[in-house]
Amino acid sequence: MIRMLDHTADVGFELEAPTLEALFDEGRQALLMTMFEEPPKGGEGERFVRLSGPDRETLLVRWINELVFFVQEEKFVPAGAELRIREDSEEVLSLEARLVGVPLDLEGHGWQGEIKSATFHGLDVTPGNEGWQTRVILDV
Amino acid sequence: MNIEHVSGFKYRIPKEGKMRVDAAFYASEGILEDLKSEDYASLQQICNVATLPGVVEPALTMPDIHWGYGFPIGGVAAFDPEDGGVVSPGGVGFDINCGVRLLISELSREEVDSSGGRTVGDPQKNRLADALYEGIPSGVGKGRKDTGFGKKDLEEILVEGVGALVARGYGEQADLENIESSGKLPGADPKEVSERAYRRGVSQLGTLGSGNHFLEVQYIDEVYDEEAAQAYGLSEGKVTVLIHSGSRGLGHQVCQDYVERCIGAARRYRIDLADRQLAAAPIESPEGEAYLGAMAAAANFAFANRQLITHSTRQAFGSAGFDSEDHHFRVLYDLAHNNAKFEEHDSREVLVHRKGATRAFGPGNEELPERYRSVGQPVLVPGDMGRYSFVLAGTEGAMSETFGSSAHGAGRKMGRRAAKRAAKGRNLRRELEGKGILVRAANRATIDEEMSEAYKDATEVVDTTDRAGIGKKVARLRPLIVVKG
Repeated sequence: MIRMLDHTADVGFELEAPTLEALFDEGRQALLMTMFEEPPKGGEGERFVRLSGPDRETLLVRWINELVFFVQEEKFVPAGAELRIREDSEEVLSLEARLVGVPLDLEGHGWQGEIKSATFHGLDVTPGNEGWQTRVILDV
Repeated sequence: MNIEHVSGFKYRIPKEGKMRVDAAFYASEGILEDLKSEDYASLQQICNVATLPGVVEPALTMPDIHWGYGFPIGGVAAFDPEDGGVVSPGGVGFDINCGVRLLISELSREEVDSSGGRTVGDPQKNRLADALYEGIPSGVGKGRKDTGFGKKDLEEILVEGVGALVARGYGEQADLENIESSGKLPGADPKEVSERAYRRGVSQLGTLGSGNHFLEVQYIDEVYDEEAAQAYGLSEGKVTVLIHSGSRGLGHQVCQDYVERCIGAARRYRIDLADRQLAAAPIESPEGEAYLGAMAAAANFAFANRQLITHSTRQAFGSAGFDSEDHHFRVLYDLAHNNAKFEEHDSREVLVHRKGATRAFGPGNEELPERYRSVGQPVLVPGDMGRYSFVLAGTEGAMSETFGSSAHGAGRKMGRRAAKRAAKGRNLRRELEGKGILVRAANRATIDEEMSEAYKDATEVVDTTDRAGIGKKVARLRPLIVVKG
């Protein structure tokens, strides 16, 4: 479940999903819904991501920021993903993802605006009714 | 929330719970109503700031306060290194050293806008608007290749700031005099800036960005304080250019890198964080010093960014038919509204964080250019693209009450999605043209989300600032041409 937030000065979304991987993929989808009026789906292009972090929240922020980097700097829109998240140790979570996507087309995808970063503001990734839940605020 | 009225427009929140000092804020009745309607969420944020180690009383917000990430927007907090004071990357923000620069000219409004805004197709005005839009890259993914800067150039620019660009022919030596800190924060350490930050920054130097960043050609439509206006060289009818931009992707990356690093540091130094976005490290720690070195580097990038945009502005006026001998564009002032600087206040050196707040040094301050010293530092307060912006002067009141700080803008009152919904079915570009304002923008979404109605009226912020004695109204500027990303 993705619910877009619409407060005065911030942009963000609430997510709920049965698994952590599904939650992170919802984060990708929600990010694209923030950036584009008509986010693309699928695509021929491919990128691989490897990230790690000391906790779920840091990993999520790094994941979203990596996706922002792909769109805004590499001009690649990650329209689909296969993810795997592992707990390597008590203090290290790792994420591996294969992204598929298309070149950035500002007009065709209905560009909505630049994102500076995902923030840690009020960020918790916690067990919820549907598995996992979180709320992410973006600085725009 | 326990709020005490101190006097006039000043309020105090006495320390309680984990707060180490009182918080204080400035508000009119209207602003206070807005704060109440959001359940004082923004004020809670400054109370959270007041819990950080080494904070000097009071933790403050300016009249343009609104809800932020960790620090509220409009937040000012000073920390004493000798008291274990901390530095917080979130207290500076992702857009390190974002700020505004005002250029003033010898051109009159009639020379740029001969029909007085009545003719949309005014060829001279359109030629100028096109030249500015083509000459200054704006919007996502728009970089510059014309300068040919590589990483080595960037490293020098991160240390030397504006001086490195003037040395390369991008601007005039006189520009440096009227930039906060002469366009260079000391202590910059390019080694503390990550490779990814360099990669993002190298092609973005001299670009406007998007969102609420802009370049605006304006005219001075009213002068409130003749003495200050004369010292600044402002007179009614003269053409100005206001530039709002920051450190672009380089600054965003520096902040991302160091918020994470400081979350770890806060754990190690046992700093209790009310919000992780307040992540902080002691000023006198390896992490704190590393951030300050990287922040200064990003700040110098932002100063240099506005310098290169200035150079392109001068060129664009030239290509639209205005020679430098006609326009004589000079920098009135350039100031930042997101940084942390070492300053002396009450005979102690403190690190003043300003997050959506500007420095506003009062009369007599030796850091100011000589020609401004008698009246105080220019303070630039942009409004929205349909109405007006303001020039104020720093005051003794600001020096004694707010660590020499003042407001930085109007503040949003409508979310971006709500603004886009409100804009549906409307042609905002046409509406602005009807008011004599030409718009050049990379995409319609930016115009919609930046509509005037999405912002509070800057007049209320500026009047509150003036009546609170923390900034004195000098002049009002109205837009003629707006360039947005």
